[in-house]
Amino acid sequence: MDLGKRIASQLEAATFERIAGVGLENAAVNRPKIERSILELGDVALGDGDSAVVVGAGPSLHRRDSLARLRKSGYTGTVVAVDGALGSCLRAGVVPHLVVSVDPHRERIVRWFGDPAMTAAPADDYFRRQEMDPAQAQDEVAANRALIGLVNAHGPQMRAAVATSAAPAVVARCEAAGIAMYWWNPMYDDYDKPDSVSRRLHRTNGLPCLNGGGNVGTAAWVITHAVLGKRRIGLVGIDFGYPPGTPYERTQYYPELREMFGDRYAEAFIPVDSPFVGERWFTDPAYYWFRTVFLDMAREADAETVNCTEGGVLHGDSVPLLPLEDFLAKADRRE
Amino acid sequence: MKEFLKGNYKLKTVIKEPVVSDTNSTDEFEKQALSRLGGSICFVSKKGFLWKGEDGKTDGPRETDR
Repeated sequence: MDLGKRIASQLEAATFERIAGVGLENAAVNRPKIERSILELGDVALGDGDSAVVVGAGPSLHRRDSLARLRKSGYTGTVVAVDGALGSCLRAGVVPHLVVSVDPHRERIVRWFGDPAMTAAPADDYFRRQEMDPAQAQDEVAANRALIGLVNAHGPQMRAAVATSAAPAVVARCEAAGIAMYWWNPMYDDYDKPDSVSRRLHRTNGLPCLNGGGNVGTAAWVITHAVLGKRRIGLVGIDFGYPPGTPYERTQYYPELREMFGDRYAEAFIPVDSPFVGERWFTDPAYYWFRTVFLDMAREADAETVNCTEGGVLHGDSVPLLPLEDFLAKADRRE
Repeated sequence: MKEFLKGNYKLKTVIKEPVVSDTNSTDEFEKQALSRLGGSICFVSKKGFLWKGEDGKTDGPRETDR
């Protein structure tokens, strides 16, 4: 088996090692802030009809101008965005009904909401290095300041589906911006096992546990069908990969792969053809795992999911490709 | 080391064998390294999408073979 695929096959267990400790610590800190369960969103009218668009922060979001096209369409269904796509959404004039945040990282994630504590460009090049939000890659301080204003202006119009693992700084930011928070636990492990972390966490706070598929984009999609009850879902910006020509050093896990494999790091990347655009994209072990899991989960979902990213590596029998306008037109006819 | 010190003499100094890294420490290194590549939320195979608690209710199929 190729190096990248071999690593990908081991990431289910590795992810627990990566996030369980800090996720549970954050859950304890966040406990006093928990007022509403995510299940309450099932009773809230978020957009018209039974369709939804889930917005990820992959490079196709900007390459295909997906958000401007979504806005232009006048789509009235539900829009669910991952935290990393919030800034792009608001700048494009798309105010998501729901924004999803799960990553427990204590310093980074609040930047997606505008970090009031940031006064200078940080040493951490996480935001400059990648394409998740190109505005953040230029003048980080100015982009952050502008985002604070946008999130404050639209906060009361939005709701947030916040995992108990989320960084306390994100929770404080949502609170300050007037974003109503609805809480859930990440499913950490098999809740049927006697020593289950998931079961123990549920006992402490009574919240449901959501199977997140490894990343916030998949978690947002799970919330959209399993909690909001949407039956037809279009994905934009959920690429799980990088467009051809992207330098390896601008990929999400480059520093880690470089450290693990030295000069052989490039062998960990996996090429995947993207038939919609006729391009050969590439992905890393983590994104390849996300892709495999998503395709498996989509087979089990009580919803039809189509990929309108017009790029990326997420496609298969359970997630067919469709131009965004075709999805929006069909959704309109049903509503 | 002992295999190189066989002879018709005895050493006064007791030579301590260095602790050879075993499979466990290799596994631990690999686990640590892989954990840096993991995701921001877990995925649990065959457990459905949403577990609502002790009454065992889930939303979506659960425990189906994939």
